[in-house]
Amino acid sequence: MVDTATISQMAHLGAGIAIGFGAVGAGLGIGFATKGLMDAVSRQPEVAGKAFGFFLLGAALSEACALYAFVIAFLLLGK
Amino acid sequence: MEHWVYTFHIAGHALTVNLDTILTMWFAMAVVIIFAIIATRHLSLVPGKLQAVSEGIMKFFYGTLDTMVENDNRRHVPLVASLFLFIVTANLMGQLPLRIIHLKNGGELASPTNDINLTAAMAVIVLIYYVFMGIRTKGPKFFLHELTFTGIVMALVELLEMFTRPLSLAIRLFANIFAGEILVSIALGGLAYFLPLPIMLFEILVAFIQATVFMMLTIAYIGSATGEEH
Repeated sequence: MVDTATISQMAHLGAGIAIGFGAVGAGLGIGFATKGLMDAVSRQPEVAGKAFGFFLLGAALSEACALYAFVIAFLLLGK
Repeated sequence: MEHWVYTFHIAGHALTVNLDTILTMWFAMAVVIIFAIIATRHLSLVPGKLQAVSEGIMKFFYGTLDTMVENDNRRHVPLVASLFLFIVTANLMGQLPLRIIHLKNGGELASPTNDINLTAAMAVIVLIYYVFMGIRTKGPKFFLHELTFTGIVMALVELLEMFTRPLSLAIRLFANIFAGEILVSIALGGLAYFLPLPIMLFEILVAFIQATVFMMLTIAYIGSATGEEH
């Protein structure tokens, strides 16, 4: 039989693990997006403005993955 | 981060209403509606300053729809434009300086998009809209393209997407705004009134980007629902 205190501690541990792994994925995603932007701009400097718009869009989309993990972590903190 | 909750009972079920979300939502709607009324009051062939600005905003929606949706694209402007304008207004409302005082006292008069109920409602509206448009342009072929094994599997995957797309739309917008608020609260705890300022500047950028992302994804879903197969 597990008491509620242990469950709460485990939930906090799980919240930390969740946001940690989520941040890894989002960091990799934004890193790849920045690499793509740098490649595009160094190859064709005149597309810089247009490419930056798409970069922001892609960065926001991959950042959202970390925020899903954040929501899960926040739900776990309430346990 | 607690909402002002009002609970009432209908036939033995407890229904909870987040009053602060409703209040701030109506405020954001009022801002958009009053802007629209003022901008369209004295229309002329030679546009004034305000008319030029609002024509520029409308051109942005027209241009985006023209590039991303294939046929009959300008009929989607009302939904897309009102979603974008409402989300931008709602997100920016959360960056008003009054929120620093509110967050310190645990109040909740920030942006209405920090409530998942509002974003989920908008996502469900988008879902209903694009499914309706898909059925209208393709008929029953919208659900089932061909009666082969691959076709049936693809149809099942698309059925699953009808659930995951609004879920991700709702959580993306909600979590961005909510995480921003928590970040500002933590910064307030660190060094009050100075540390939150750069974060709030970043949140203004996030407000525009998230509204654009919501609009772009809506357009992409409409485009994939009404476009032809390739």
